[in-house]
Amino acid sequence: MNKHSDSINSIDIISYYTGYIVFGAAFLMLIPIFASFVFAEWATLIDFIISMEIVFLVGLMLILLGRRTHQQKASIQWKHGFVIAALVWILMMILCAIPYALSGHTKSFLDACFDVMSGFTTTGLVLTQDLDHLSIGLNVWRHLLTFIGGQGMVVLALVFITKQTSGAYRLYVGEAKDIELVPNVKGTAKIIWKISMIYLAVGTAVLWIAGIIIGLEPISALLHAFYMFTSSWSTGGFGPMSQNIMYYHSLLIETITMVIFILGSFNFGLHYAIWQGKRSELLKNIETQSFFITSFLACMLALYGLSRFNVYPNAISNFRRVIFNVLSAHTTTGLGNIYPRQFALEWSDFGIMIMVIVMLIGGSACSTAGGFKGLRVGIVFKGIIMDIKKLLSSERNMKVYKFHHIKQYILEDSVIKSSALIIICYLVLFFIGTMLGSFYGYSLASSAFESASVAGNVGLTIGITSPAMPAALKIYYILAMYMGRLEFLSVFALVGYLVGGIRKICTRY
Amino acid sequence: MYKILRVFILTLILFALLSIQLFAFNTTEINQLIENAKTFDGKQVVVRGETIGEVMQRGNYSWVNINDGSNAIGIWMKNSDAQQITLFGNYKNIGDNVVVDGVFYRACPEHGGEADIHCATLKITKTGFPVTNPIPTIRGILVFVLFSALVIVFFIIYHFKLLKNSPD
Repeated sequence: MNKHSDSINSIDIISYYTGYIVFGAAFLMLIPIFASFVFAEWATLIDFIISMEIVFLVGLMLILLGRRTHQQKASIQWKHGFVIAALVWILMMILCAIPYALSGHTKSFLDACFDVMSGFTTTGLVLTQDLDHLSIGLNVWRHLLTFIGGQGMVVLALVFITKQTSGAYRLYVGEAKDIELVPNVKGTAKIIWKISMIYLAVGTAVLWIAGIIIGLEPISALLHAFYMFTSSWSTGGFGPMSQNIMYYHSLLIETITMVIFILGSFNFGLHYAIWQGKRSELLKNIETQSFFITSFLACMLALYGLSRFNVYPNAISNFRRVIFNVLSAHTTTGLGNIYPRQFALEWSDFGIMIMVIVMLIGGSACSTAGGFKGLRVGIVFKGIIMDIKKLLSSERNMKVYKFHHIKQYILEDSVIKSSALIIICYLVLFFIGTMLGSFYGYSLASSAFESASVAGNVGLTIGITSPAMPAALKIYYILAMYMGRLEFLSVFALVGYLVGGIRKICTRY
Repeated sequence: MYKILRVFILTLILFALLSIQLFAFNTTEINQLIENAKTFDGKQVVVRGETIGEVMQRGNYSWVNINDGSNAIGIWMKNSDAQQITLFGNYKNIGDNVVVDGVFYRACPEHGGEADIHCATLKITKTGFPVTNPIPTIRGILVFVLFSALVIVFFIIYHFKLLKNSPD
């Protein structure tokens, strides 16, 4: 009997909070509605009104379904936090795909879902067709999704809709964010958004001026500035035009976006520490150390490797094409200033291998970036060094090993183990994707490149991602982007919850 | 006489069709340029496509992007050529259809290793035009139906006090 009531309560709690977040997300559609209204895109305006009404209805239904949570003031447990976060992402993917599907720019609803998940997870792979004729409203929506996804939907919801903070931390962790900038999680969520909004204002202004300098009309430059900022800061990689960042033909835009996406790939904790005047954190932090070392090595190796084949004619070309793309991959941004097929045709297997490695490593934990994360790479690397040192030193020598990440932590076996486990999960995700790509007839190098790009939430493509690719591959890529972004735990919790529920139903009947 | 005239007209039609094919053969798809970039590198090519976005003026030259359906590429052209273009493709317009004769660079040394085309001649084959994006009636109806459903749900919540805290 207890078990039965517990199960009902869990469904209530999950339904109520999922509904609340979905309901809140419907308000986001007011932004593209406003854009469509201003630019007189009436068909798009109607599409967004329909979508917003549907999202409101779904959110309300879920709230009503779980209303006992509100009435009895039930609190969230860890399992609920994980399941809600995982469920919200799936539900929002479907609901936010409605404007895409109504626009007629996607060949199927699956393609629309793919693009939304790609946006939310800040991946940046695109199946939307004819980007060059996309409405401003839909373009604003695409880039808004990537901006929201970068900071986290649940994090946004925590800022606005959760009155009580009990259990909020469980929701927050469910979205693969665990840094506590201030003691209360609502305050942390607010700081994350404050940091992002300040960068949004400054970054958009800088890109706007740059846009006017390179010859864009002022209004168009402002829109492009917003698109490129959200894409870079969220390490998303979407572009408003089919040529992505190549559309601008500009070293200035490439350099500004490069600075923004490197900043975006840093931990929010690091931004907060630097804002508080702790500048030394930039050099001491294990994540920044890891990022600087791996990015420097990757850039040098890629430059050397490509120079052997004379891929690019001079130093500026090498900087613009090699450094930019390697850093875009490493920060998991996915803005590309060469054609996707040029990776396959010109970069050689060595260049592709470098890209695969950096895409998998990714940016920092608790940032907008994906991948294993520099923190885990740094911890595992330090763990290996620690083990070697222990082997070589006397048994009586009891040295405590530490690492610095905002504050000093003791390097314990449990920390190394959990970091290594997540890295293994990413590798499994990557290998399955590579195998599936090869199964469908793509070359091993191309399959590995694309698989690393989806698992690491990067968004660079070698040419596999297209509306013509097999549906099974699209579904796997959606799953890989989703699991990679939520760092597995929440997804495993949701699967476990569903399996447990099905088992209960089976045993009851 | 009638037979001769018929043969003559037929020959003319055939000739016209063949010329079109010959012309189409001369233009290269942008995707073909990218796929065979090393072959076409530094060679004179002819591409056809729709002008998209907007012109970006840089000194005496401008960047114009064109899309031929297979892919898009940047064309580096004189300002005087760019000024001939009347409309660029976007949500509300179909851009001018142009034929560009120029040199393709796989990794242009002048433009930071970008794949581009330096235009020698530009010809507008079809001027662009505005497009209407009509609103299907069913969508208009759907807006009202969904709005009514929302009003009903809100009314039910309010009337039956479904989201009121239960007394402890």
